[in-house]
Amino acid sequence: MIQKVCFAILVFVIFNSHNNLIWYNHFPTKLAQLETMIKIEGLKKRFGEFTAVDGLNFEISRNEIFALLGPNGAGKTTTINMICGLLPPSEGKITFDHLGKDRKSLIGYCPQENIFYPKLTCLEQLIFIGQIYGHSSKSIKNRAIELLGLLGLEDKTRVRACNLSGGMKRRLNICLALIHDPEILILDEPEAGLDPQTRILVRDFIKTFGKEKTIILTTHNMDEADRLADRVAIIDHGKLLLLDTPQNLKRTVGEGDILELVLEQSNEKTMNRFAENIAMLSMNVKINAESVLIKHLNIIEQLPAIKHLAENSGLIISEIKLRENTLEDVFIHLTGRTLRQ
Amino acid sequence: MKIINIITKSLREQMRSFWVLILSLSMGPFFIFVYFLILETSKPQYTVLVANNDKGVMINGQHINQGNHLLAYLKRSKADTITIPFTVDEVTDKITGIERLKNKKADALIVIDNSFSQTIENRKANDSTAAAKVEFIGDLTNTNYLISAIWANELLNEYALQTNPKKRIIDVKETALGISATITGFDMIVPGILIVSLIMLMFTASIAFVSEIENKTIIRLKLSKLTAFEFLGGISTVQLIVGIISVLLTLLTAILLGFHYTGSILIMIIIASLTSLSIISFSLIIAAVTKSTNEVLVVGNFPMFLFMFFTGAAFPLNSETLFTVAGYPINIQGLMTPTHAISALNKTLIMNMDVSSIIPEIVSIIILTVLYFLTGGIIFKQRHLKLT
Ligand SMILES: Nc1ncnc2c1ncn2[C@@H]1O[C@H](COP(=O)(O)OP(=O)(O)OP(=O)(O)O)[C@@H](O)[C@H]1O
Ligand SMILES: [Mg+2]
Repeated sequence: MIQKVCFAILVFVIFNSHNNLIWYNHFPTKLAQLETMIKIEGLKKRFGEFTAVDGLNFEISRNEIFALLGPNGAGKTTTINMICGLLPPSEGKITFDHLGKDRKSLIGYCPQENIFYPKLTCLEQLIFIGQIYGHSSKSIKNRAIELLGLLGLEDKTRVRACNLSGGMKRRLNICLALIHDPEILILDEPEAGLDPQTRILVRDFIKTFGKEKTIILTTHNMDEADRLADRVAIIDHGKLLLLDTPQNLKRTVGEGDILELVLEQSNEKTMNRFAENIAMLSMNVKINAESVLIKHLNIIEQLPAIKHLAENSGLIISEIKLRENTLEDVFIHLTGRTLRQ
Repeated sequence: MKIINIITKSLREQMRSFWVLILSLSMGPFFIFVYFLILETSKPQYTVLVANNDKGVMINGQHINQGNHLLAYLKRSKADTITIPFTVDEVTDKITGIERLKNKKADALIVIDNSFSQTIENRKANDSTAAAKVEFIGDLTNTNYLISAIWANELLNEYALQTNPKKRIIDVKETALGISATITGFDMIVPGILIVSLIMLMFTASIAFVSEIENKTIIRLKLSKLTAFEFLGGISTVQLIVGIISVLLTLLTAILLGFHYTGSILIMIIIASLTSLSIISFSLIIAAVTKSTNEVLVVGNFPMFLFMFFTGAAFPLNSETLFTVAGYPINIQGLMTPTHAISALNKTLIMNMDVSSIIPEIVSIIILTVLYFLTGGIIFKQRHLKLT
């Protein structure tokens, strides 16, 4: 009985804590309309002898949130600058589905460092940038006020940008990228310098926005990539290591999930018998004094089998703890080091 | 109409860079004020000493001393002259006079010979006798002596003509150009300072261009649909407005302090606008080779000093003509537009010459402006505005 309750709780916890439900909800509809928005072929960038981006190939679909994940100096910003047209590629090709727009209107860019006019107020600079993209002042003013509101800057419309706090400047920069209503939004580390609360605000904003537009973002924050992105490209030293959905990455790469079974009473004999059976399913097992640790990729799929073996071995489980494989594990597995190194 | 958007934005930023704006606007009026103070307090004063050794003569039982008459004549003439501040002082003897010259208390010493009256009387009776003797003493390297001596000599000749009934052989008539008869030293420096106030644009304009690069906001402009022409044109327009305000403030200060001018203010504004555009174009070259305000402040000094001191802006300057084009002299400073602008302002504001006389200056300014703009524009676009 206890075991059944535990499994029910476990499944509930897993599905809720990671928003997987939402993710599964909207991805299939997205998959149905996989039109290529940006196609990158053999992209290279050399600075003298040094190769910062080394032969990237991938496609980004329309209305997809695409994350470039990599450590400092991996070549994320360089790749993005080439996509924006700020840097000429040394080799390779980038093509866009223009959707009947010119390339300049197509892209909205939020650079890694905040770029704004320090002496203009938030509203003034949003209107100015909108105008130089050819929008009328009136329509752009309404849009500017709306955007500032969405990103929690409604009190700051008449404050000069130099007088904003760091996190506010970051949000103003996201507004500046969006003011001309681009189809593709490119965000270079959008969450840098934001407090946890604002991070959630920005994350929700990006998610809502990503339902209708294509978003490319870079990050070293695993959690951010995991929660936001439909697909994650892991790059290091300018090379693409892996590209998949966060779910698939975690499921197929890395050290695996860790399931901890806390036992009601420890019995060495039953524990050993259980461990032998588990090992036969080629899972890693470790026996502690009062618990058993099982390590395996995508362990959730193996839960019925584990439960069956536990019952057969006569183990009485009082508590089940799960630590899921994270993108960090995936990353360490791929590069042999943590992201912060 | 994106140029309007750039102008509005740029104007806002310029107004909010308050101190830079105030400093560059006040430079011209400040220079005018300083020159005014210097010229007012250092107005030349010429002191001529006279040592009268004349013993006089007895004619018909009357004692006549021509030396005293001459002295009185000199003192009287002094009162008639307005423009030259000329003082005549009597000293007891030559030694005292020389002592005062050495102490710079006076500029020239006139010593009247003891037989001055006698000699004049002799001369009146007989033309072939020796002329009366007057000695001029002074430091020949000192311009004050030269001016005092010329002046005194002129008066002496005039006095001689009056005592001797002989007819004047040459009568000299002087015609002043424009308003140069009434012109003061102060008036002469004003056209240059009007241009100094425009040279200051070199900093505000370069900073306006370069701040987009320093703030990296140029990236936003590059990604937008703004053209290089709209960007450069918008910023230049704002700087042109600053230039015109600056030159008008300078002119107003000068007029309040007593500047005399002829000619039309409209032509002055046209010359000032063209010069502003040329300075703005030159600033583009500075902005093109720098990346930050600090660099502008260092790099910009070099051309600014050249423009200030070698074009006749900060003080009048003459130089060798290299060659002439259709009669218009070209020299090395001719590569800098202020040279032509000052020449044009002198012709119209001081000499009252008509517009046709400044055509060579106007043409030179326009040609140089186009050259500056093309050089600056091409480098700036290549270095800062290019998108792949
Ligand atoms: N203009 C340049 N000249 C020379 N090297 C450059 C230039 N721009 C980038 N690089 C080099 O290219 C590499 C990739 O830099 P990039 O900025 O793309 O890294 P990143 O992945 O964005 O890193 P971060 O997470 O720190 O932002 C770095 O080693 C960097 O030094
Ligand atoms: Mg980066």
